[in-house]
Amino acid sequence: MPNYRIHKTEYIDETKRVSFKYDGKTYFGCEGDTLASALLANGIHLVGRSFKYHRPRGIVSCGAEEPNAICQIGSKKDLTEPNVRATELELYEGLEASSQNCWPNVKFDIGGINNFISPLIPAGFYYKTFMWPKSFWKKVYEPLIRLSAGLGKSPTEPDPDIYDHKHVHYDVLVIGGGISGIIAAKMAAKNNLKTLLVDDKKILGGSTIYQNNEAIKIDDKLSSEWLKNEIQEINKLSNLTIKTRTSIAAYHGYNFLLAKENLTDHLPEEKKKNKIRQRLWKIRAKKVVIATGSIERPLVFNNNDRPGILLSNSINKYLDFYGVSCGENIILFTNNDSAYETSISLHKKGIKNLIVDLRKSASSELIKQAESLGIRIYFNHVVTNTFGYRKINSLEIMKLSEDGNTTVGNKIKLSCDCLGMSGGWTPMVHMHTQSGGKLNFRDDDQVFLPKENSEDQISVGSCNGDFDLENIIDKTVNKINKFLDIDNQDYQDTNIICSKENDKRNIWLLPNKIPLGKTKCFIDFQNDSTAKDIKLALKEGFRSIEHVKRYTTTGMATDQGKLSNMHALGIIADTAGVKMGTLGTTTFRPPFTPLTFGTLVGRNVGKFFEVVRKTSMHEWHVENNAEFENVGQWKRPWYYPKKGENMHDAVQRESKAARDSAGILDASTLGKIDIQGTDASEFLNRVYTNAWSKLAIGKCRYGLMLNEDGMVYDDGVTTRISENHYLMTTTTGGAANVLSKLEDYLQTEWPELDVYLTSVTDHYSTASICGPNSKKILNKLFPNLDLSDENFPHMSFKEDKLENINCRIMRISFTGEQSYEINIEAKYGHSLWKMCIEAGKEFNLTPYGTETMHLLRAEKGFIIVGQDTDGTMTPSDLQMDWIVSKKKFDFIGKRSLYRSDTVREDRKQLVGLLTDDPKEILEEGAQIVSDVKSKPIDMLGHVTSSYFSPNLNKSIALAVVRSGKTMKGQKLIIPMENKNINVTVSDTIFLDKENKRLNA
Amino acid sequence: MFLINCPFCGERDQSEFSSGGEAHIVRPKQPTELSDDEWAEYLFMRKNIKGIQFERWNHAHGCRKWFNVVRDTSNDKILSVYKMGEKPPVNYK
Amino acid sequence: MLDILHPKISNINKNNIDINLSEEKIKINIRGKNKEFFTKVGKILSIILPSETNTSSSNENYDVLWLSPDEWMIYFDENKNTNIFDQLYKDISTLNVGSITDISSQLICINIKGENIFELLSSGSPFNFEKFKNNVGSSTQTLVNHIDVILHHKSKNNVNLFVRRSFSEHLYEWLVDSSNFI
Repeated sequence: MPNYRIHKTEYIDETKRVSFKYDGKTYFGCEGDTLASALLANGIHLVGRSFKYHRPRGIVSCGAEEPNAICQIGSKKDLTEPNVRATELELYEGLEASSQNCWPNVKFDIGGINNFISPLIPAGFYYKTFMWPKSFWKKVYEPLIRLSAGLGKSPTEPDPDIYDHKHVHYDVLVIGGGISGIIAAKMAAKNNLKTLLVDDKKILGGSTIYQNNEAIKIDDKLSSEWLKNEIQEINKLSNLTIKTRTSIAAYHGYNFLLAKENLTDHLPEEKKKNKIRQRLWKIRAKKVVIATGSIERPLVFNNNDRPGILLSNSINKYLDFYGVSCGENIILFTNNDSAYETSISLHKKGIKNLIVDLRKSASSELIKQAESLGIRIYFNHVVTNTFGYRKINSLEIMKLSEDGNTTVGNKIKLSCDCLGMSGGWTPMVHMHTQSGGKLNFRDDDQVFLPKENSEDQISVGSCNGDFDLENIIDKTVNKINKFLDIDNQDYQDTNIICSKENDKRNIWLLPNKIPLGKTKCFIDFQNDSTAKDIKLALKEGFRSIEHVKRYTTTGMATDQGKLSNMHALGIIADTAGVKMGTLGTTTFRPPFTPLTFGTLVGRNVGKFFEVVRKTSMHEWHVENNAEFENVGQWKRPWYYPKKGENMHDAVQRESKAARDSAGILDASTLGKIDIQGTDASEFLNRVYTNAWSKLAIGKCRYGLMLNEDGMVYDDGVTTRISENHYLMTTTTGGAANVLSKLEDYLQTEWPELDVYLTSVTDHYSTASICGPNSKKILNKLFPNLDLSDENFPHMSFKEDKLENINCRIMRISFTGEQSYEINIEAKYGHSLWKMCIEAGKEFNLTPYGTETMHLLRAEKGFIIVGQDTDGTMTPSDLQMDWIVSKKKFDFIGKRSLYRSDTVREDRKQLVGLLTDDPKEILEEGAQIVSDVKSKPIDMLGHVTSSYFSPNLNKSIALAVVRSGKTMKGQKLIIPMENKNINVTVSDTIFLDKENKRLNA
Repeated sequence: MFLINCPFCGERDQSEFSSGGEAHIVRPKQPTELSDDEWAEYLFMRKNIKGIQFERWNHAHGCRKWFNVVRDTSNDKILSVYKMGEKPPVNYK
Repeated sequence: MLDILHPKISNINKNNIDINLSEEKIKINIRGKNKEFFTKVGKILSIILPSETNTSSSNENYDVLWLSPDEWMIYFDENKNTNIFDQLYKDISTLNVGSITDISSQLICINIKGENIFELLSSGSPFNFEKFKNNVGSSTQTLVNHIDVILHHKSKNNVNLFVRRSFSEHLYEWLVDSSNFI
């Protein structure tokens, strides 16, 4: 097996071998490797096939910008993960990875045929081709596209890993642990500011940490040595928190940032267990220093995508950080000085290399050094083609014309096994723009830079366009002093020597003798878009960069165009003949690198998926086999099935028992608001449609609350406890909103009212006992309470004690039966319930759930706000005109009740429906029509509530129907999938219209 | 995620608040006197400005107090907060 | 006497975090604005209602938390003085100088103490605990795991957390789960 690990570095422990599997084969790397560096050490460049043309692709970079080396990790159904960048994944014992987007394997891939038919699949191919014949879409095109769509395989079973979230607050957040970030963090923390430094790598220091060129020195030391000292120092600062393996995913307004910390992705599987895999940090920082650095640009020339073609600086990092050489015969193709650093470093380690430089000449320290070492440099030359299928083996270069627009002279063929390219550097302005910052364009080296820094955010270092070390350190120090309003002198006497780049030449699309149409000049490696595609889009009339991007899919892959966006812009600008800075950029959106769903969700999975509210009687319901229904956040008993019963059986039994003898409901979830103050009555007058001033103390009244638009908002019973003290109940789901709405009116519209509102929903537990035998049960519980209709009539309230504990008892009814609601302090709720059950035993007191409650109230035609209403129903639409006071001067929503639209007679109105076949139960939500033959069918309304009533022995339903009020007795039709159901419009009250049962 | 300076509790995360739309829309004292159009003006018409906007916010998960906010909707910066009943700061129009 | 059933909250001690149910406690919500109100409350409780945002006052009998400019919560152990509610109600509510509401069962008091409690709360709360943790006596209302809570910094690294009864078991389970990952 070849070994490309050619020298020792302090970041790789060669004594600790790590075995891993790639595409089923076992390899060895070392502790400290990434998957990419380990593959390269084994001589593996080919790691995948491109998305569209299935061209062989190799590792290009060493970081987050990697477009090609994306792998499927693991093979377990629950843990496998697609699209993981091999350049970021730290190697661990037992790691299993495989290449993606190829079948049957990466070396022989059937889809590779796409490469040969590529002239047939240009940009917009899908939009253009799959238009006709129309009938093909569903049966042929879509299944085929789906088969080839997507990268990698998603897990098919729930993620067993644990994720977490945490909020943190800092004075200063520094993003990026390169040299400028380290300086900024040190300055901030030493000045007593609580500081957080984050870096996505395992080791701080950015690209300076492996820098080893004698031309670049700080205080007479290699810059890497100097920086190591700095890192040691900042590790001692108590004010500074350093988080490595942590990347900022999003920078939101008000300096709110999301950072993902990788906690176990670098550990072998057995060590990952029961630990948090990733944590999402929710950071609030008073000030943010962005020091995210820059990434190297590729160059755009024919066949620039072969395995073995990497970014020049990445070759440098693999060599000096990981000790791995990417080849034995390397060519570096550049338009700037930084490739010379790579070249010199390679040369020192005895690796043969030469340089092809676009520039006509160059004269910095680095170049002099390279020349003196005898490194061959082809100035004013361009690579025009490369060769080698699974790996580059040679290339052609030609001389550039004076203006750089074309090539001249003869082709020179050079052999190589690796090509490094450097098209200059792109500052990482993602964070700056995500935070809302704007960009400037610097023509000099064709970069977008942060336009201005605000008082709470600043960019320093190479992400701010400062590339040479002297500039970086001096400017960072000055800017941080100003930004934090401090006077740090630590770096005043720092002596910096560095090579200064004097010459620049940038050509976005490199010239070639071959017509563009016959070349493969890749811009976006992952989405396979080429310079030709961009030009085609322009030719077809696309102008906006946002449109070109979407049409060609440039920059839309998982790498979000980190390597490609600038070239796309440059080629558009050149082609359209406009200045590059005027085009703007596409929008930089979070996340910077892909996040797992697990990280976003955190621990809000399983039982913490949703917040759960329980009543104090909950345990009893569980013990007695209740099925639960979610009502808002509450768990409410839905029905209590006995052995062998299904839901229908249980509900029929419960409903019948409640009407024949007695039933009991846990009504604790209803919202309860304590209302006190001298204006409490006036307040109720204003918020409910009916009048309240005359309600006697000790009496209860039902109220309907509207929105200002006249639509029903909530309902409930309110009890007058004393002169200026009421207890309001609201619907279960509406409790919080009603309180908030009432507070709104009190605080903003009627601050003159002396009224205080306090929620007591959770303070009381409520057992509601109904049925002909309810009075007898109450008598057993409260033997001293006079339950006669004279003393304790319907809609009144008494207080009594249950074994010394106060109870508030309301005689109110939502079922139409004689009914008592007993309220007790919640800590006694469970006892109260058990005592009720005990006392009711001889009367077959049957616990019933929400379903039976709904059925019983429907028999009586009582509405449920939110089920029979939907925010478009007025009281009149509900046939509840009786509850709207004509006398009151004003109440919320009153004026809206006679707007031209609310008085329309053909509004949808609440009616009853009876099916012709009394056994037929309608579906809630079913549409109602009068004529099934007309086309289109005129829809009149829909069913809102529907049940089989065991007490009436027939099916009943409530519905909203256009002009329903006038349609009583009329036949209508409910068209269902395979039949039409005939119904007759009826009254909304099906049972006991005379309310005899209330006092039976 | 805004950081809102509740006039009573100080700076808090946006998740503690709920928004109540445009501020300084006074409920008519005598709604019954209004024409449909005038009532609709109160009920439905809102400015939705790009730029400086006056809004109502409620510290729903804190002190439960409603208050006013001046916010530049073009960059989401909150320029000022003031209590209910107080006049809007004069330097914003 | 009727049996009392508290939410299922048992003592947990993990990673320097101690979580306990802290009941029985009487909690009373107090509302009012005028001078008479402040005088009366002061007299009955022998305590001055805290007027400063996010603070509390305490004496040997009661703790009073600021909730809003016209709202406070007083809490104390049940065995201390059981008729203080009646006294307050009689002198404040009945005489229309403010509003007194018993919320003893509305809120459950969970005591959290130990070095890492603010780390724990920060897992689910956007609140900035920087000042709070350095000031004994601070109080605040905020969200923890999307649930409304009132927090009272009773003594150093010792917080009484008040949560609505119906949410209390869920929040407790979440706190216990979170304490595994400090």
